[in-house]
Amino acid sequence: MMDQFPSFHLEDKVSHWEGSIDMPPAQEGPAGPVQVTVGGNWDLILNLKSEFEISSCAWALGFARDLWRVVLPLESSNIVSFFVFLQLLVKMLLSFPIFHCLGEIPAARWLFSCWDSIFLAGFGLIAFRCVREDQSSVVLTLYYLHNGSPRVGFRIAGREYLLPVGLVLKALIETTDYEISVSLSCCFIEKYRKDKGAVRAPLMRERARTILDDIEFRTRNQCLEHIGKLFRPALSKFDTESDTFVGEAVLRDYILVHLNNNHEKFNLLIFMLQKLFALVDQNGAPDNVDALQNMEVLLIGHIMTIYIKEKLEEWLLKGKRQITDEMNKKAKDFEFRNLLLINKIISYNGRGVGRSIESMIRSGRLATLSGLNLLERQGFTIHAERLNYLRFISHFRSVHRGSSFAKMRSTTVRKLLPESWGFLCPVHTPDGTPCGLLNHMTSPCRVSSFYDINGQLKDFLKIRMSILAVLIALGMTPLQPRLEHTGPPEVLHVLLDGCVVGFVASAKVEKAVMHLRSLKVASSSGIPDDLEVGFVPSSEGGAYPGLYLATSPSRLIRPVRNISCTPDRKANIEFIGPFEQAFMEISCPDGGNGGRREFFPETHEEIHPTGMLSIVANLTPWSDHNQSPRNMYQCQMAKQTMGFSGQALQFRADVKTYHLQTPQSPIVRTASYNKFCLDEFPVGTNAIVAVLAYSGYDMEDAMILNKSAVERGLFRGHIYQTETIDLANKKDTTEKVLKIFSRGLDASKSIIDSDGLPFVGQTIHPNEPKYCTYNALSSSSSTSKLKGSESVTVDYVAIDGSSSKKYIQKVNIRSRRVRNPMIGDKFSSRHGQKGVCSQLWPDIDMPFSSVTGMRPDLIINPHAFPSRMTIGMLLESIAAKGGSLHGQFVDATPFSSSTREKGSEKSSEKRSMIDEIGPMLTSRGFNYHGVEVLYSGVLGTEMKCEIFMGPVYYQRLRHMVSDKFQVRSTGTVDQITRQPIGGRKRGGGIRFGEMERDSILAHGAAYLLHDRLHSSSDYHIADVCSNCGSLLTATVVGPRKRMTKDIKRNLPPPPRLANNIICRSCKSSKGMETVAMPYVFRYLAAELAAMNVKLDLHLSNKIGT
Amino acid sequence: MDSQPEPVSYICGDCGAENTLKPGDVIQCRECGYRILYKKRTRRIVQYEAR
Repeated sequence: MMDQFPSFHLEDKVSHWEGSIDMPPAQEGPAGPVQVTVGGNWDLILNLKSEFEISSCAWALGFARDLWRVVLPLESSNIVSFFVFLQLLVKMLLSFPIFHCLGEIPAARWLFSCWDSIFLAGFGLIAFRCVREDQSSVVLTLYYLHNGSPRVGFRIAGREYLLPVGLVLKALIETTDYEISVSLSCCFIEKYRKDKGAVRAPLMRERARTILDDIEFRTRNQCLEHIGKLFRPALSKFDTESDTFVGEAVLRDYILVHLNNNHEKFNLLIFMLQKLFALVDQNGAPDNVDALQNMEVLLIGHIMTIYIKEKLEEWLLKGKRQITDEMNKKAKDFEFRNLLLINKIISYNGRGVGRSIESMIRSGRLATLSGLNLLERQGFTIHAERLNYLRFISHFRSVHRGSSFAKMRSTTVRKLLPESWGFLCPVHTPDGTPCGLLNHMTSPCRVSSFYDINGQLKDFLKIRMSILAVLIALGMTPLQPRLEHTGPPEVLHVLLDGCVVGFVASAKVEKAVMHLRSLKVASSSGIPDDLEVGFVPSSEGGAYPGLYLATSPSRLIRPVRNISCTPDRKANIEFIGPFEQAFMEISCPDGGNGGRREFFPETHEEIHPTGMLSIVANLTPWSDHNQSPRNMYQCQMAKQTMGFSGQALQFRADVKTYHLQTPQSPIVRTASYNKFCLDEFPVGTNAIVAVLAYSGYDMEDAMILNKSAVERGLFRGHIYQTETIDLANKKDTTEKVLKIFSRGLDASKSIIDSDGLPFVGQTIHPNEPKYCTYNALSSSSSTSKLKGSESVTVDYVAIDGSSSKKYIQKVNIRSRRVRNPMIGDKFSSRHGQKGVCSQLWPDIDMPFSSVTGMRPDLIINPHAFPSRMTIGMLLESIAAKGGSLHGQFVDATPFSSSTREKGSEKSSEKRSMIDEIGPMLTSRGFNYHGVEVLYSGVLGTEMKCEIFMGPVYYQRLRHMVSDKFQVRSTGTVDQITRQPIGGRKRGGGIRFGEMERDSILAHGAAYLLHDRLHSSSDYHIADVCSNCGSLLTATVVGPRKRMTKDIKRNLPPPPRLANNIICRSCKSSKGMETVAMPYVFRYLAAELAAMNVKLDLHLSNKIGT
Repeated sequence: MDSQPEPVSYICGDCGAENTLKPGDVIQCRECGYRILYKKRTRRIVQYEAR
């Protein structure tokens, strides 16, 4: 039984968590616990109330392996409520030091006390994100200071600490000043000074000297001791250990944590320093932190692993503290072996790890003190809506830059950079606030993972060893243990997963890269197919040269065709990453060479130009003929379309689903439509669209629907809503059944069944009883009525016996509401052309075609085309007409001219699209250009011009008037202010706000203003004492009560007598006046009075006194 | 509470067997022991608007 629960071991830090996603489909009932093995000895069973389930459809399941999404149903019953993890782009690529310039380091940065005498006036820094095997990361930063001695910065529990680099270098290994100096300055070679890519820094030796002069310690032990002494207060866990031990722990846990060997750390630090100096001397360009080139994806499996790790650590520390407290308190009868006692003590520990993970999934927030070295704290999950399949799938392909950037004023992070070509879709990003931050992966793009192509766990050590062996065979000189005394351009350093492993002579490196790539492509070479071979050549002031290899998981990868290494065109698909892509020569078969020089021939080729688009963007037919923003709008609208959200709708219990009853398969479709099997989840209808020329130019984006077409089922839809009603008292632990579902005696038997629930299939109207409950304590029954203004049909009722055995306590009721097209509903074509239905026009009055007698389903305004330039929609109309006449689907894959074979290229260029489709129409007796002669449906006369008419795939969007209209005459008012309430659900009004007031004021419409803001709002007649000016002191004396007989006879209340009202403070009825005012004013007076401020009114009949 | 409630039929969510429950009966399929039951569609005449 246990082996089907997700289990992972903290000991071997490779997260087996991900393996756990491959669970059998979720079973009903309470979820399984997560088994955690701590140190191999303790078995803690964390009661995770939730279970991790792969979404039901096979396609998403295929993704689940690659993309690490954990999808979680919330309740134990079959209400399906998903939360998806957004993938976040992490700032820095692992294993590549990133240089960026800062104007000035903010002075507020916390400095370690010992070193704050140094003013940090640096202007450059190198950041390096080091990732441990369990994917937790520590960022190490090298700051350049003007005095020449850089600082090493790292964070412990959110605080940044800075150490002089010399101290760290000396503490890492037993070394000499001479060695450090030589290692640092070796990259400067007099001979190559003028060469491309050479480091021209004669100052290196002086810098090495400043670095070494900066510290007063000689030996490694002294340095370690010093570091230990400094960090003992920051690291609370060391009490008894020596300073040296603490120093070593700091180096191990915070300095370049991805490396285990101090020599490797030393070498890497030297390499980073060389890069820092080279870039400070402007021998190279700073790296762009916003470019995708330097980014990785933060996967949810990895966040979960480190989050669980931290939560478990917290939990264990707390438990340990509680046990020691208990031991100190009652030392006598404390028995450590008494498991019951220990269990009891630990159970005080409060919320378990499982609960905090559950709340993390629910809220998307990481509740950590340390911050886990992540930039983001929140926005990790979103609700996976299943409005339609495209929306659902887009959640899983989305990549978010991080919610903190959304608040930023600067737009640099949102920019579309050329580095993201092929990895992130340029079209599929929302407009508005998340624009450019929330991106979607292109359809062929993948994320590298812990698993290889065959689904086997990768052995990274083995991979690295085989790569090293290949590199050495290719002529790399390994450097163990010391850095060799040379630098670019003579040799290039080779970094493998952030570890300096050696150097290759510049002349040999290109050949080595070629060979590595051919090994990548070849199967069973021991080199993984997603190895990133980032070869940065020596250049004039460009990126810092070197050969950077990465095998790590969570890099974005995409396939391209390698045309250089293998002659046969079959097994030549190579996976490349964004880092190497910038330095590769990849041609796209669009005819041009992209400005490529002759001496840099292309080595790779794009597989298909549509590979740069996401799944949703790929579905727009002939999107290459549209203006680009229209394609963006279509990506948005495709995700708001009503369609088939799932195949098993009748068994599902989603909170809200939209369903289109009569969808069709599009006649005009792209290749991706078939590839992704979207006929399983259609989202629209082929409507016969007429473009209404010569009249109706003023209809803007409105459209006319054929009433009979609608009655025949065009765009018919339903909304299904599921409500879970659980009568069990969550707080009450006595498990006494208090409330159950049962029909009361007074309940109408025609509406409520004898189990207290409605009949399945029956329509309930507003204010009719929906279900009936019985309270055993007070032995009274009550009915719940249907709220809202719309009648619903009961679609399904499920009773859940898992909480209470004997009585019905928990039910799911799914209701269905009809959403037939009506005036005000929103529709759109697949080209970003949205419109609102303005008329349901009778079929007999619709214009009809002279050839076929057909009447259009839909009429749109011709003005929708000139400024929007959606030529794709016109093409779709003609092509669909031709396709339907010939009974075939039409391929509308964009960029088809760029993919044709060279032989047929000439002919295709001559023939335009129209010349292909036109003959299809003429062969069946239609006009070549897709226009038709139409007769007026009202008059029967021929129309003056020919009308462009043909089938276009139209989508029904989920925004419908029935869900949105808001109307009110009189109704409920606010209790305090007596103004009308707001909100559509509660029958409130629409606010007549400041801006509306301003505009009425500007028009001088004083009476209207008075009517809106006073008479129709909180009109009130107040009694004011003109003597004391008080608004609040008026009281009624004497009988002013309405007699019961008056009420019975429906008589109006007695008139107010002036004598009856007196002022409490003046004790007289003299001077009491009635004043009309807004009620809020009186409320303000009362509020002010509560603050001991008196509001004085001076009454006068004259204006302005 | 209804004095003489008539039994209601349900369909098991797992095996699909029909179960007839009276108030106070254990909510569980008699065939397979599954605890989620779906109510059967009513036998009464229902009328819908077909416009």
